[in-house]
Amino acid sequence: MDAQLIPASLFDCPVVESRPVGAYRLISFVAREIAALARPGQFLMVRAAGQKLDPLLPRPLGVHEIDSDLVKVLIEPVGRGTISLAGMRVGDRLSVLGPLGNGFDMTGEGPAIVVGGGIGAAPLAFVARSLSARGRDVRCLLGFRSRGQAVVAELFRNLPVEVYTEDGSMGKKGLVSAPLSEMLCALDGTDSFSNNTSSAGDFPSEASSAETISGDSASSDDENSCAADTGMFPEIFACGPDPMLAAVDRICRDCGANAQVSVAAHMACGVGACQGCVIKTVDGYRRACSEGPVFPSTDIEW
Amino acid sequence: MNNNMEPPVTASLETSLGPMALEHPIINASGTFDALVADAVLAADLFEQFPFAAYVPKTVTLQPRAGNEPHRLYETAAGLLNSIGLANKGIENFIAEDLPRLAELPVPVIASVAGENTADYGRCCEMLDSRDEVTAVELNISCPNVELDGKALGCDPVRTEKATALARAATSKYLVVKLTPNVTDIVELAKAAEAGGADCISLINTVHGMALDPWTLKPALGHTTGGLSGPAVKPIALRAVYIVSRALDLPVIGMGGVTTAQDVLEFLAAGASAVAVGTASFRDPLLATRLAGELRDLMEIRGISSIAELVGSA
Ligand SMILES: Cc1cc2nc3c(=O)[nH]c(=O)nc-3n(C[C@H](O)[C@H](O)[C@H](O)COP(=O)(O)OP(=O)(O)OC[C@H]3O[C@@H](n4cnc5c(N)ncnc54)[C@H](O)[C@@H]3O)c2cc1C
Ligand SMILES: Cc1cc2nc3c(=O)[nH]c(=O)nc-3n(C[C@H](O)[C@H](O)[C@H](O)COP(=O)(O)O)c2cc1C
Ligand code: FES
Repeated sequence: MDAQLIPASLFDCPVVESRPVGAYRLISFVAREIAALARPGQFLMVRAAGQKLDPLLPRPLGVHEIDSDLVKVLIEPVGRGTISLAGMRVGDRLSVLGPLGNGFDMTGEGPAIVVGGGIGAAPLAFVARSLSARGRDVRCLLGFRSRGQAVVAELFRNLPVEVYTEDGSMGKKGLVSAPLSEMLCALDGTDSFSNNTSSAGDFPSEASSAETISGDSASSDDENSCAADTGMFPEIFACGPDPMLAAVDRICRDCGANAQVSVAAHMACGVGACQGCVIKTVDGYRRACSEGPVFPSTDIEW
Repeated sequence: MNNNMEPPVTASLETSLGPMALEHPIINASGTFDALVADAVLAADLFEQFPFAAYVPKTVTLQPRAGNEPHRLYETAAGLLNSIGLANKGIENFIAEDLPRLAELPVPVIASVAGENTADYGRCCEMLDSRDEVTAVELNISCPNVELDGKALGCDPVRTEKATALARAATSKYLVVKLTPNVTDIVELAKAAEAGGADCISLINTVHGMALDPWTLKPALGHTTGGLSGPAVKPIALRAVYIVSRALDLPVIGMGGVTTAQDVLEFLAAGASAVAVGTASFRDPLLATRLAGELRDLMEIRGISSIAELVGSA
């Protein structure tokens, strides 16, 4: 989570794909420079290009995936900004400022558990793939309210994903905190780190329209390098609603694991100028946009 | 081409505010554009190719301020509610850390200060008076997010005149007083600032407002209420500029919802000698790099050759 070194630029980007993924919308646009520069966990300030004054400001969106010149974002329409963005169709143009924020510190070693809640899963596909590409053993725990949201797990193609829903309508019933706690606390003995992992291939057939899957990600077959075996505690990479992140922090403190969490805040400038996006940390207020959005979980006052 | 067309007018954008010769009439609104952050974060060279004709940094206070409880921002219809609460590093750190770097800007710096009482304004101006990096001081007596005894100092003509007079006594720099629209009679406040020795009036600061979170039906801002800015407040700002510039002999810096060159044109016509861009920079951080050129185009289309010709022509 080093200071941001890459300068951000403003781009006018054509939308080349726009499709629903359950309750969310996946939008791909051409942004060569951002695709080349963005690091996992960084975000973009995005709005519809043009003169329309409502919605007025761009909204922060995590980079969901990069595919050569394309940048993909996943949008949950919840208010005036995200509803407008979710309405963007092929041929529409986006005004995009980025890449912004620190992103996750990917320099660690050893196994990683990626924990997502709701739309917080959006930036984590990029994170999980990058971790995998760095040769780290990755497991993804994704929690959702219901099946409508949970189908986004299909976008974690070829990554070992476990899905949890609050109503049990897809995957297992419950919150992700329970399995996380079990995984970390079980690390005193022989438990396999990657047990119980279903591959994304198990997800419903909406996934079948997806383009070819790149082969760089960990498959659920190499399940043997568990934390206990390697003597390394998994590092946690989390993004989701505050209560989920707070639970992740509590569990990691109890078990002595390190967690990096990506926090959410309402933003205006996205670059550190307006002081609008602060969150409470042990060092006082800090700006989610320029000093985050990723912080060590122990830095946040939950 | 139509041969009967009149020879094209070449518009000059040059103008001035007191001792400040401005290349064009567009400056930034305090708290909405940070030259040092832009320099560090944005790839565009906004420091040497500075888009504004003068630079107004974020308001500073005698002591550092942490600012208000989050959420501090909430977007409403064509507007932005904020309750930042003057989060700032304090005037001493501003002088020590920021001013030396701001001295490298190719445009004059208008430092913005706020106080908890009238005496603070004098103290701040005293500290800035000896600093060559600063050409002018703006007294922010109008932040809606830091009210003491329930009322912004800028709502009270007596305290407004006193704060201005204390500042005037402490500095010979060009003195701008920034007014709030959240008053019954803004002309009365402008006259109080004039009586206190102001050289220039800037207006408007944000308009009192509030939003509820649509899901919880609780206040969307941590501070409960905040200040509204952006296109939604433009008619309020335009009126304030119009009536204050007509009632006083002082120049006026107009702001509130300026988003296009047409808006700049209108504020100038309403009576502003310079126009500040605030919230619109959040929408488009490069907006200011285009505005002056677009303003010139609009003036030339209308056959207006100078800013002076335009100011107050409404
Ligand atoms: C770094 C970062 C990355 C982000 N990445 C993404 C992303 O990849 N995809 C994405 O869709 N969003 C992402 N967000 C969140 C997104 O930016 C916000 O949802 C958006 O700003 C809300 O703006 P709006 O205008 O749509 O809603 P507003 O009208 O501003 O807000 C609606 C209100 O509803 C509340 N609210 C929002 N969602 C819910 C909910 N599910 N249940 C109850 N209340 C809710 C909000 O707190 C707010 O008060 C990210 C945020 C940050 C800070
Ligand atoms: C996030 C934010 C922070 C602001 N901070 C300050 C400030 O520190 N000092 C000040 O005088 N005005 C401040 N303002 C008010 C603006 O300078 C300006 O007066 C107001 O926003 C109206 O202009 P606009 O509609 O173009 O934004 C702030 C406004 C916003 C939106
Ligand atoms: S959004 Fe402006 S400081 Fe973070």
